[in-house]
Amino acid sequence: MAENRGGMRPTAPQNNPANVSATGGNGQSGRDYTGFAYGQNQALAEQQASAPMAAAPAPVRPPSQAMPGMGGGVTPLDELQPDGRPISDGVDFGAGRGSEALPSRITSPMNQSENLDLIKRYLPDLINATRIPNAPDSYKRFVNYLREQIL
Amino acid sequence: MQWLENGFFDHLDKFANSLGYENYEIAIPLAMVKWKSPEDRDVFIMTLTNQDVKGGGAHNFNPLAVK
Repeated sequence: MAENRGGMRPTAPQNNPANVSATGGNGQSGRDYTGFAYGQNQALAEQQASAPMAAAPAPVRPPSQAMPGMGGGVTPLDELQPDGRPISDGVDFGAGRGSEALPSRITSPMNQSENLDLIKRYLPDLINATRIPNAPDSYKRFVNYLREQIL
Repeated sequence: MQWLENGFFDHLDKFANSLGYENYEIAIPLAMVKWKSPEDRDVFIMTLTNQDVKGGGAHNFNPLAVK
């Protein structure tokens, strides 16, 4: 009489989704490799000892959700901030106060000189872009202005 | 090389001309923003300046005109 062996057994432990290691793949040491040809296991162990593995990376945390009641925040397309001020408050154009309302750190000459250095560095690229076919005249006029200001 | 409508140089053209040449120190970092589309950028400029977008040419986008 033929025996009924093998095949899929739904109650087998490997089919139980709850049987998952709490540490996932991090629970594996990854250190002990054996089974190589005679004489190679010791050489491999020595090689591993001379180059220790880097520390395991910290687990990645999902981005935190905003707490209830914090409000949705401001996007660049909003006209007003939650406190009722216009988004252009603190800028020298548009509605609201001008740059005099900004803290002194933001308008410090040091930041301006850093910006100028950055613009000087990329000015040749900005000038080259004026030669791109279909580059608008308004862009060329602006780059001319920039060149006069900076050089 | 072509002039890309949603590229850095196009953004710089629109910001510099819309905000004023003298505000180039603001226009340049704004031009470096990866805008989702020229329309998004132009709506931002119009919200900021309360005026139409300046610069560019015939391909300027004016959302108010589309409505």
